[in-house]
Formats: sequence, C-alpha cells, structure tokens
Amino acid sequence: MWRDAALVAGKDLRIEGRSRVALSQVAPFGVVALALFAFALGPDRDVMAKGAPGLFWVAVLFCTVLAVQRSVSVESADGARDGLRLSGIDPSGLFLGKLAGVAAQLVVLEALLAAGVVLLYGARIEVPWLIVVSCLLGTIGLAATGTLYGALSAGLRVRETLLPFLLLPIVAPVLLAGTRIWQAAMAGGTPATGTQWLRLLVVFDVVYVAVGILLFGPIQETA
Amino acid sequence: MTTDSSTGAPPTTEVTAFPPTGAHPIVEAPPNSTVTSPPAAAALRPTGVTPPPAQSARSRTTERVIGALALVGTVATVWLGLWVTPPDAVQGDLVRLVYIHPGVAWVALYLAFGLAAVSSVLYLWPRTRALFWDRLAAAAVEVGVVFNVCTLVSGSIWGKPTWGVWWAWDARLTSTAVLLVLFLGYLALRRVPAEPEVRARRSAFVALFAAIDIPIVHFSVDWWNTLHQGATVLNPGLTLKIHGSMAWTLLLGFVALTLVFVWMLLVRYRVGVLEDWLASNELDLALAERQSEGTDPDGASPSSRVGVA
Amino acid sequence: MRYIIAGYVVVLAVLFFYAVSLVWRRRRLARAVARVAGAGAPLPTPVAPGGGS
Repeated sequence: MWRDAALVAGKDLRIEGRSRVALSQVAPFGVVALALFAFALGPDRDVMAKGAPGLFWVAVLFCTVLAVQRSVSVESADGARDGLRLSGIDPSGLFLGKLAGVAAQLVVLEALLAAGVVLLYGARIEVPWLIVVSCLLGTIGLAATGTLYGALSAGLRVRETLLPFLLLPIVAPVLLAGTRIWQAAMAGGTPATGTQWLRLLVVFDVVYVAVGILLFGPIQETA
Repeated sequence: MTTDSSTGAPPTTEVTAFPPTGAHPIVEAPPNSTVTSPPAAAALRPTGVTPPPAQSARSRTTERVIGALALVGTVATVWLGLWVTPPDAVQGDLVRLVYIHPGVAWVALYLAFGLAAVSSVLYLWPRTRALFWDRLAAAAVEVGVVFNVCTLVSGSIWGKPTWGVWWAWDARLTSTAVLLVLFLGYLALRRVPAEPEVRARRSAFVALFAAIDIPIVHFSVDWWNTLHQGATVLNPGLTLKIHGSMAWTLLLGFVALTLVFVWMLLVRYRVGVLEDWLASNELDLALAERQSEGTDPDGASPSSRVGVA
Repeated sequence: MRYIIAGYVVVLAVLFFYAVSLVWRRRRLARAVARVAGAGAPLPTPVAPGGGS
C-alpha cells in the first residue's frame, strides 16, 4: 500500500512539477483572495490583524478546492482513471498517494499565504510551532476529505460547481480549529487553547484518513 | 417459431431481431400465432418495457390511514397549542412554539437524517444491498430537508422575541444549518444523470460522510462557543416547566409530526419508484415506437414473420 | 404573540405545500407511467424483417 502511495504521489507531483499549475495559478489566486479580503475589511490594520487567522484559513480552503479539482482532472484525460484501476494499484495506496500529492501542494501554498498574511495584515505570530503543526494537521484533513469527494464526483460534468458545495461544509471543523489555533498563537492569545484544538484536528484527520483507506476502493467503482 | 423470450435468446434463422438492442426481446408473441390476431395483439406489448410497479391496495390504505391520522394530529396540536394550553409563567405566550419546533427538529435531525444514514449504510453493505434502501434514503433526505427548513425557520422566529436575535452561532443551530447544506448537496448529486446503481452508491457515500461529519461539526461548534473568551452562551433549551396539558400537547405534537413525516416518506418513496421506472423505460418504448414507424405504412405484413429478438 | 402565529403559519404552510406537491407529482408520474405502459399495447403492424435499425 505504501509503495503504491509513493508511486501515485510521485506521479502527481511530477505532473505538477512539469505543468506548474499550482504554482502559476492557484498560488496567485490565493494571494488575490488575500488582497480581496483586505479590500473588504477596510484599511484598519487592527481589524485585519484580528481577522488574519480566519482569512488565512478561508484562503486555504479556496486553494484546497482548486488543488483537489486539479488532482481529479489530471486523471480524467486519456482514460487515466481506468488505467489506474486496471493497473492493480491498491485503492488505499491510491488514496494515500493522491492525498499526499494534494497535501504537498497545499503545504507550499500555505507557507506562501502565511507569509502574505504576516506581511499584508500585520499579523504577529508568537508561537510559531503551533502555526506549523496546525497547518500540517489541517492540510492532512483537507487533503483527505478533498480526495474522497473528488473521487465521488470524478467524471461528473458538474464537478466544478458540485465539489465545492459538497466539500466545504464537511471541512468546517478544520476551519474552526485552524482559526482558533492561529488565534491562540498570535499576540494576545492563549497557547493552551490552541493545543486543545489540535486534538480536534487530530481526530478529524484520523477519522477521514481511515475512512479513505477503507472505502476508497468501493468509491472508485462509482466513478 | 417459438423463442425463449425470458432469456432473449437469439432468434432462429427465419426471423430477424428487429431492434439492434439484442439484450432483451422487444416483442414477444405466443408461439405459433400470426401476429395480427387480436388476442395476440395484446401480447405485442414491448417487453423491454417491464410492467410498471403496482402499489398494493394494502399499502395504499396504510398511507391513507397514516395521512388522516397525521392531519388530525396536526390540527389538534395547533388547536391545543394556540388556544387551549395556558401561557408559560416565564415565557408567556412565546412558549407555544414548543409544540412545533422541537417536533420538527426531532424529525429533521434524528428521524430523517438517521433513517437516511442507516438506509445508505444498508445499501452499501453487500449483503443487504437493494435499491429499496437507496430510494428510501433519497425520500428521507428530501422530506428531511423540508423539515430542516421548518426547524431553522421556527427556531429563528422563536429566537427573535426570546433572545433578541434571529440567529445565534450555537452548536445546535449551526449543526442544523450544516446538515441542511449537506442534505442539499446530496440532492444535487442525485440529480446528476447516472445508472441507478451508480447514483445509489454515490449518494450513499455522501450520506455516510455527512453522518460522520455532523457529530464532529456539532462538537467543534460547541467547543468553539464555550472556549471563546467572553462568549454569551445562549441556552436554546431553556428549561421549561412542562406539565399538565402542555406535556400532553407536546407529546401529541411529536407524534403528529412523526406521522406527517411517515406519510410524506411513503408518498415520496412512491414518487421515486415511478420516476425511476419512467427513466429506465421511456427510452425502450421510444425505440420500439420508432421501429414500428419503419414498417410498411399501409399495414400489410409479410404474413407469419414475427420479428423477435 | 405575532411571532408565534407567524411561526405556526410558516411551518404549516411549508409542510402543506410540500405535501400537495408530493401528491401532484405522484399523480403526474402515474399518468405518465400509464401512458408509457399502455402505449406499448397493440402495435398496428408486425415488425418487418430485415428492418435493421
């Protein structure tokens, strides 16, 4: 299973490396989103700094949707999906591989967005490790649910509009937890609260990764 | 020349299969008959079109009875709730919504959602897989959406005079809203055209994921509210002293609304069955009609040739 | 009290209109099913052999 996962992840990342979609399209989109938030919230730096955690995570969610769409559409050309199934790749491995591919892209995007938030909104981070851990855990949760719903909606022509609608309510806990943790890690927050929310993220991740490993095989058959 | 119409076996050499779809026989004729004889004409019903599902008389009666009870119960609840029962000591007349709101909430959040989740799992489980569970889940979700909207609206209307706000981001309200969105996503996914089995699996997975997610959402929002410094924790379940006629009316409200749900579920299920039948048979029938247009226009037929697949 | 009346009215109206829509849908579908199934009966001519598609 792990070998298959590595294979699939490597493939996806190599495709990304050559086409650079995430870098050239999704990342700028994220930055544009940050700018739009700034315009929406007004020039008061206090408001922006206070809202920075939430805005960061909302921008991350938007980028997740795009990254997942991309991950799914990569398979839809040339019957690649059938090819994957025929190749005998372990479905759980396929799930983990796609998850890893999406997660890797998201981590890079988050680093970029975090820098943007610090620079553009004047957010002051006091406890960096909390930020890093929350991003990693949140990414896993987002990538897991994204891959699951991406597989469910693969091959549907309405996928572009349906996927966000299906996915975003499910990842609401990640948004809640991520925002809370960031707030705890900022100047004026209580880090202890942050660690409590980390536990929620862990539970979320464990649940959805387990679901993916167990059910990705049957889900593939619905595509 | 007889054919084995049940297996759609290829015709003998003297007859020609007339629709290219060789999978099922389009026309079956009693053996050794000439097709123009009137008694045999009835047998010319295209059998690619399976007979429509009939609703047994008993289920029709059950539905009527439940519907009547639901109607009576609801009217009684309204009458008792609005006029007969006394106003509350604390909330005054505002308490009267307690006969409606918890009832629709129970139906939407537990009955409908629970049924949809269980049915979906039963569909996914290989040993109990049957389209019945899928259709039941779909019916439960659609009716559940209606009750969910009722829950949110009645809760909001109750909240305005009681707490002063139309909405509060507490765990219960927020989870109900998230559930509504998840249900709507389920319905949107079902509208995508697909084979019944494929659609059923997809929907079942979505329902399963929703079932997994709702407890997590509820818990997170609950935490979110209690851990937030300085949050006013609204208590939606204001402790009411319910006794006497109020208690009975409350119970009646629950029962009546449950019956309404059951009745709607039955009718909606039937609608689903009919829709699926139409979807799968319209094409076959259209093909058959199109083929029959291609025959000799003046009705003359090469005598005993029967086109059988 | 107006809120209470409004609450009752809204809930009952929503339930009522949905119920009506269900019954109407079922009736419309049943008629369509009858049409589709009944139309299958007597074809005026037998099918011509070699008609192909």
